[in-house]
Amino acid sequence: MGNTITIDPVTRIEGHSKITLQTDDHGEVVAAYFHTTQFRGFEKFCEGRPYYEMPYLMERICGICPVSHLLASAKACDALLAMKVPPAAGKLRRILDLAQLIQSHALSFFYLSSPDLILGMDADPRERNFFGVMQAQPELGRWGIRLRQFGQQVIETLAGKRVHPAWVVPGGVNEPLSVEKVNKLLEQMPEVIEIAQKSLTWFKRQLETFREEIRTFANFPSLFMGLVTVDERAGYYQGKIRFTDSLGNIVADDLDPANYQEYIGEAVEPFTFMKFPYYKPMGYPDGMYRVGPLARLNLVDNCGTPLAQQEWVEFRELERKAVLSSFYYHYARLIEILFALEHIQEYLLDPIITKKQARYTASLNNLEGVGCCEAPRGTLIHHYRVDEQGLITWANLIIATGHNNLAMNRGILQAAKHFVRADKMSEGMLNRVEAVIRAFDPCLSCATHADGHLDLQVQLVSPDGSLLNEIRRPA
Amino acid sequence: MSHTIILACGNPLRGDDGIALHLAHCLQEQHWDPEIEIRYSQQWTPELAESISKVDLAIFVDASTTVPAGTIRLQPVSFSKPWRGGTTHSLHPPQLLALARELYGKTPERALLLTIGGESFGHSNEFSRPVRGAIPTALAQIRRLASGVTLPEPDALPSAAIY
Repeated sequence: MGNTITIDPVTRIEGHSKITLQTDDHGEVVAAYFHTTQFRGFEKFCEGRPYYEMPYLMERICGICPVSHLLASAKACDALLAMKVPPAAGKLRRILDLAQLIQSHALSFFYLSSPDLILGMDADPRERNFFGVMQAQPELGRWGIRLRQFGQQVIETLAGKRVHPAWVVPGGVNEPLSVEKVNKLLEQMPEVIEIAQKSLTWFKRQLETFREEIRTFANFPSLFMGLVTVDERAGYYQGKIRFTDSLGNIVADDLDPANYQEYIGEAVEPFTFMKFPYYKPMGYPDGMYRVGPLARLNLVDNCGTPLAQQEWVEFRELERKAVLSSFYYHYARLIEILFALEHIQEYLLDPIITKKQARYTASLNNLEGVGCCEAPRGTLIHHYRVDEQGLITWANLIIATGHNNLAMNRGILQAAKHFVRADKMSEGMLNRVEAVIRAFDPCLSCATHADGHLDLQVQLVSPDGSLLNEIRRPA
Repeated sequence: MSHTIILACGNPLRGDDGIALHLAHCLQEQHWDPEIEIRYSQQWTPELAESISKVDLAIFVDASTTVPAGTIRLQPVSFSKPWRGGTTHSLHPPQLLALARELYGKTPERALLLTIGGESFGHSNEFSRPVRGAIPTALAQIRRLASGVTLPEPDALPSAAIY
């Protein structure tokens, strides 16, 4: 008789979730589900509030990537005002976005995933954490802390606070950056760039150990999506949407993020509070795509900064076309840290960022606005409608983690089929299934959203696992 | 001169939970010695370990749900191992000392945890009456500690000494 294996909670990720695996009579895994078990309602409870509150309300969605929500929300408000921001503000916002990426990627790689990479997937779970890493490889612990600290320090220097800053406003930023602050940040650049390079060197040496995981961690063809700039770089703060396939072909390009509803559909499933975005022309679920570091490095033909470019070339040589294994999200994350550091340095050397004009003002000119940027985990979209008084009447958010939902579910099935045997269970098997999710670095407190009514399913299950009763409310 | 860091922790939107941040702001505004570093955070995270490793005295300040409302409690903090069950999003003072020692090879000569018992931790940016009443004493207590007033050695302090 088949059985259900539950991994609850999924550990070392942002937010709350569980995984269930269904096995058949022979103990083989036949189905896998990734359940986001928390629910929030930001789209709903912001209705009736004035649009200019949105950046500060929406950034409260998350304590890890509030800057991304702040930026996407402010950009949606810029669209409501039908305005561009001053050149200095545009660059300062970009620095903030990249700093956010550094601190978040460092958290994901060093704090959450490095225990698997350093101590091993089968290590004692009581020791398999960042503190175990600290004892086993203290230098790596210091690198992780330093990189995260630097990202946070840039955010604090620009925006006044490390978490939930209020510095980005519709129309720009509310305070320019001083030369003294710029110089203080520039002084630190050589040290943190060297740490990023050493981290990459260390990680590349580990890859041989993880061949089986590379082969089975959400390693399949899919589309990739992200923002691309006019000069063919990954567009972190701004750009047009591009979809590519697993052969590296461009499927769709130059798509306006404001028209996302024309090419992104959102499905719901009864087992989770996270939506399932998909590429509309291919339908659901065939329109599965991936976003985030792996996708961003697959979408472009150059990385854009000298040191990161060298790493990107090596990375793309891993496979002949697109890099498909989601294990390589870790690798891509480290390359993006290096890119972000180099790019921040370029911006800091640009005198325009200390110009005093950092904000324009305007009144409401549009009743609908979309803001889009690349959050650490992928493309983030905020979409607001307002009435003539500027009060929010409707909001929709598509969160980076949500885009990866289909791929995460398929990825845990692939890994579970390979590693899990119900008759010979070990903790390490289940940890590998969790580690697939960790590779995507989901941020579930951000990603839990319902599209209209939830498709709700309540099951009454007996102690032996058999289903006694079920009530279902369709969406 | 000895180096001191004050680490205030709390959520200013959850009533009494924000008392440590309020105290830190008050200290900074009242002609505070600029040589004494003050750090504000919603949670204590690993990034603080390096700063802690560089000081002689670390004073952790936080609200407490277990101490009676308005009561100020001072406890010594010592390096603790093992740190099983720790999460990198929220560390306790002993774990931060452990990180400082393991990663940077040094812990402060003295580390103290000053807690103020809270009554209301709901959604609010105001403090309860007992906590408001404790503010002057708490500020004076932190000033005394930071200015190097001699206290009994941490080991001689009871684990939940009340001053």
